[in-house]
Amino acid sequence: FCPAMGMDWPLTSGDGHPSKGAVLSSKHLSLRQNCCARPELVTATDMVNYWQKVFETNGIPEARESSQYIVSFVLGAKTFQSLDSKSLHTPLTAMQQEQIQQLSNKRLQRMPVQYVLGEWDFQDLTLRMRPPVFIPRPETEDLISLVVEEEFQKCENSALCFPVSVPHPVILEIGCGSGAIALSLLCKLPQSRVIAMDKEKAAVDLTRENLLGKMPWLRAGCASFSFLGSAKQLQLWGPIDVIVSNPPYVFHEDMASLDTEILCYEDLDALDGGDDGMRVIKSILALAPSLLKVSGSVFLEVDPRHPNMVERWLQAHPNLLLTLCAIHKDFCGK
Amino acid sequence: PARLPISVLAVIAPKYENEDFRKLAETEIASCEEEIAELKQQIVLLLIPSEETDESDLIMEVTAGVGGQEAMLFTSEIFDMYQRYAAYKKWKFEVLEYFPSEIGGLRHAVASIAGVEAYKYMKFEGGVHRVQRVPKTEKQGRIHTSTMTVAILPQPTEMRLQISPKDLRIETKRASGAGGQHVNTTDSAVRIVHIPTGIVSECQQERSQIRNKEKAMQMLCAKLYNAKLEEETKKRNNARKIQIGTKGRSEKIRTYNFPQDRITDHRISRSVHHVESFMLGEEMLDEMIQTLREYADYESLMEIISDNEKKNSS
Repeated sequence: FCPAMGMDWPLTSGDGHPSKGAVLSSKHLSLRQNCCARPELVTATDMVNYWQKVFETNGIPEARESSQYIVSFVLGAKTFQSLDSKSLHTPLTAMQQEQIQQLSNKRLQRMPVQYVLGEWDFQDLTLRMRPPVFIPRPETEDLISLVVEEEFQKCENSALCFPVSVPHPVILEIGCGSGAIALSLLCKLPQSRVIAMDKEKAAVDLTRENLLGKMPWLRAGCASFSFLGSAKQLQLWGPIDVIVSNPPYVFHEDMASLDTEILCYEDLDALDGGDDGMRVIKSILALAPSLLKVSGSVFLEVDPRHPNMVERWLQAHPNLLLTLCAIHKDFCGK
Repeated sequence: PARLPISVLAVIAPKYENEDFRKLAETEIASCEEEIAELKQQIVLLLIPSEETDESDLIMEVTAGVGGQEAMLFTSEIFDMYQRYAAYKKWKFEVLEYFPSEIGGLRHAVASIAGVEAYKYMKFEGGVHRVQRVPKTEKQGRIHTSTMTVAILPQPTEMRLQISPKDLRIETKRASGAGGQHVNTTDSAVRIVHIPTGIVSECQQERSQIRNKEKAMQMLCAKLYNAKLEEETKKRNNARKIQIGTKGRSEKIRTYNFPQDRITDHRISRSVHHVESFMLGEEMLDEMIQTLREYADYESLMEIISDNEKKNSS
């Protein structure tokens, strides 16, 4: 690129085998042939093109998207497509270029974009992201819609006449991670009471941070504890209307084939569901009857192979008094 | 209190001897006449049929036309003008699509505009806008003419347009292979195809996939609704000067002449001065649109009257 900007990378050859926490080596990239006519004026578009090439050369997945998100972030926008024409063609300051370089270096280490930026969007919220707390996936956004829909439906069904009541369920989220599900539900069902729990302190801390960042007027009591031994403690909250969870559901044998971004940076306990991916799912279902109201519901995001398995397991455990009501496919039909 | 008909009052007034009482009666005649005039005006306005779409929000599409980079620069300026106009009218302006050009211009963009009477005002802005000036890119100081097109699509409420989910194909980056926890892709662009009509809309303005989907659906609904409306209005009599819809889309409606500092609306042959001021998207633009509205109402009325006359004479 342009030597005046000092955009050279450390030269270490060979590709390291990704392992947790290891620094990955990158290849030296010389793009002097791409010098623009006036080297001191670099626009957002130039930066995106440049970093896309760097990422591609270094085998970084989603090279174009990564560079677009990083450059947009530094310019204060969420996506490259939302930048207006002026922003795209205004030369970047030295500080902006420096920022982009710092963030891109992290991406070169295969750090997921969400951790690089330290934030990501989920439904209508922008939440802080921090390794190793699990990054919310787009499919889970649909889970929120399903829960909200059911709650409004319940209100309609039970309302006799006036006044039409507003949903105010008591919701328990198991494995809250960054707080995406809990906070989205709280925003869409402002009269609800949400209990968010996670066995990892890092997750609870991040959830608290995100909660206070969005709704500082709420007082949140947070503590981390594993739900497996905590039925009595949870019962103190009273009968629960909805248990919601995106539990680890990856089959253990599939874990090794996950992308480097996931394996090196995210908490694997948030993903690994044991041999059949059902370990945590079964625990939640086993615990549910002692916590739920008679008409309460459990909403789970699971692997496409699980619904049948869950149905069979529930039939084999009739004492739980749970029935499978509905299987919803995600927006990709899975 | 009951009112005497004016003709009776008029008879009483001059004959009555008492000066004060006469003055009182005269004042009352004057105010009754005023009221009659107002009521007549109201009746006229009520006669003008309001379109089904008048209460809608809308989608605005801008596209650069003839003139290369200069046309794209002009498109960007017009888009900004309407963004400012929306703020001036206290409407909500949300960008759904945005495709800029290499030197700061705009190829194509879509925005959703929502607010009180938004469609009622903006519907007159659909058509070809023409600019005459020396482009930034011009080295020899010659005046060029470039164009851009504005399309205004009314935005229906969800209920009015019934779309069956099985008629939609929703395409996302995550579609292939395993999804959910297995993958962490950040490409959240969404593309929706309406299978029966082949109409497509896409959005990648947001990082949240569900929000991109919502925006894409908004655009799709507007396009479908517009297609449906076009079908219906094809049959209508189109002798009018002010055309709304696809008929109006290819009409040259306005010229912005920079050297002469003049904007001319060709439908009503009206010219105003101070292009820069006009393009601020405030009073001047609002006033032009008000004038267009009045003219359109007048044409509606004339149509009703002539239809009525035809009926009576046959």
